[in-house]
Amino acid sequence: MSQHIIYLLPIFFSLLGAILSILPIRYIDRTMSVVASALALVSAIYLLFQPVCIDGYFYIDGLSKLLILTIAMVYISTVLYSLPYIKHLGNLLFQHRLYYFLLNVFVATMFFSVSVDNLGLIWVGIEATTVSSALLIATKNNQITVESAWRYVIIVSTGLVISLIAITFIYGSAGTLSLHELLQHHPDNRVFLIGILLGVVGFGTKAGIFPMHTWLPDVHGKAPAPVSAIFSGVLLPVALYAIARLIQIYPAHTIKLFALTLGILTVIAASLMMTVQTNYKRMFAYSSMENMGMILIGFSLGGYGLLGAVIIIISHGLAKSSVFFLTGDVLSRYHTTDIQAVNGLFQRLPRAASTLFLAAMAVTGAPPFALFVGELFIFSALITQFGWLIALVVILFLAIAFIAVNFRTGKMIFTGDENIKKERPHIETWIAIVNLILSFLAILFIPYFELLLKNLL
Amino acid sequence: MNQTFEVLGFLLIVFTLLMQWEIHVQRIIFLFAASSFVIAIFLVLLGLRHPQEEYMLFVLAGLTIVVRGITIPVVMNKALHRLYEKPWRVREDKPLLGVGGSILLSLVLIAIGYFIYQNSLYSVLKVRSGSVPFALFLQASLLIISHKHAYIQMIGFLVMENAVVMLSGWVFGGLPFIVEAGVILDLLGLVVVSSLIIRVRESAILQEGDTAESELRG
Repeated sequence: MSQHIIYLLPIFFSLLGAILSILPIRYIDRTMSVVASALALVSAIYLLFQPVCIDGYFYIDGLSKLLILTIAMVYISTVLYSLPYIKHLGNLLFQHRLYYFLLNVFVATMFFSVSVDNLGLIWVGIEATTVSSALLIATKNNQITVESAWRYVIIVSTGLVISLIAITFIYGSAGTLSLHELLQHHPDNRVFLIGILLGVVGFGTKAGIFPMHTWLPDVHGKAPAPVSAIFSGVLLPVALYAIARLIQIYPAHTIKLFALTLGILTVIAASLMMTVQTNYKRMFAYSSMENMGMILIGFSLGGYGLLGAVIIIISHGLAKSSVFFLTGDVLSRYHTTDIQAVNGLFQRLPRAASTLFLAAMAVTGAPPFALFVGELFIFSALITQFGWLIALVVILFLAIAFIAVNFRTGKMIFTGDENIKKERPHIETWIAIVNLILSFLAILFIPYFELLLKNLL
Repeated sequence: MNQTFEVLGFLLIVFTLLMQWEIHVQRIIFLFAASSFVIAIFLVLLGLRHPQEEYMLFVLAGLTIVVRGITIPVVMNKALHRLYEKPWRVREDKPLLGVGGSILLSLVLIAIGYFIYQNSLYSVLKVRSGSVPFALFLQASLLIISHKHAYIQMIGFLVMENAVVMLSGWVFGGLPFIVEAGVILDLLGLVVVSSLIIRVRESAILQEGDTAESELRG
């Protein structure tokens, strides 16, 4: 245990940041959150070069390391974006320091969820993300944000009760919840199978998987920009991580087919919903749902499908956080989330507009972003295992999503009259730009991702 | 011993039926507290089967009484007192189901729980009346779906959690203590956070009327 204490560092730094943020000293909340997130990022990078750790307490392999890194990158960008954004957000439900406290605790619970060697504790961690993040949604105090926070709590918690039943079934039939023990040997009976299937449904609720996705557009549509960014960028993949482990434990055809079906249905439902959106934040929320569907398809296929899923997690996490940061910028200028009411963005904010245009392209899988490569890996695995027809159906709906998102984003950016004047850009636009560049650069590290995931491929 | 478990399971179903029929929020909270005490008795009886090996079940029973039986109802009650002048009069104004409809639907759900259990799990688990937690889970879902009042929806969620405790204890012999303790702590955190959200939500609705519906459509 003692030699593996290093694997606790990301959790430790974010928790320390949380504790110090709550102290009633001026600016300590912001300062400590920045320091904690920077140290968490450094330790996440350091962990990449450490050996795999499987010791009964932790289960940190390549998949966990890459998720920890993604969480750390979105964490620091969210904290940096929050500094000016939350300061200017009026009518807050609570003090600034509670916002930073909750944000740090929320990240700590995500680090915990992807690090532990116990399915039950993964459940505890993911449920703890609900507890710590519910109030973040209602940071801006009005009836609609509070209502969406409540819906999030009740729908997600109910879904997670289903996964708790799943954990009960798994423990009841296998006699252990340890990931490494379950991977070595597990029973092959109906109770275990039902447990895994229920787990896919239950954790899928938290990941916004169809048909338990209804909380997702409401929350993303109404939460403050940095909260939407961290939800979309890393919270949804953390819930999918639990599903990836369930499939890894019991890669039976029934399980894979079930997860694949849910993934495809999620892509279809999200793509169709995107075509009728009039609110840009909800539209990007459905885009996140579509990407989670693709990740689930990748996990269900395994092999290079799984590599594709991990590439999407990293690339989408960075690009989508960039998108939500920019929507925060748009909302602060136009005071509306109605797509029809936003125009002339390029004339008004050229830097933010061009970044939003590219980020929207990135999250919808346009080349040369890494997300496109991730989708290619998934399609390659899908065609190999299930033939062209299913792959074509998924491609068709991805194309619908691509057109729906980019047409509307293009409309907001490029339409408008000549009288619109250029405005001074916000400094935080740079955070969105950096994340978008990182999302693009992820393509260079794909061979390294493959190396890290070699035991899973 | 099995018959005692069946009686306790039956009691829990009766408590949930009463919650379904009751319209006053405070009474529903009391009913939940009572059902949590039944869960604690259930855990103690489970522990008594093998007191040497399963002594942690007694700790868990104690935690259940402290958290589910006392702290959670007290937190919810306090939140009610802060929000309303006469908390004992707070009620579900427009329940989706009348008493007759809820009796019928509850009976149907108990039958469905039994049917699902007998046809899918009984042959493997061989636990008689193992369908009780499933019926309880379905009834808790009904409690959430058929009520608009946030406190009653929260109680529905907590009853679901009780159903899982019963399922894990009765059918599978319990979860590891660290997981059970984690679940209880999560639950406590969730109730505290939810109480705050509900309080803000209800006070906004009292002042402005319910305007959120049109903007949030899932």
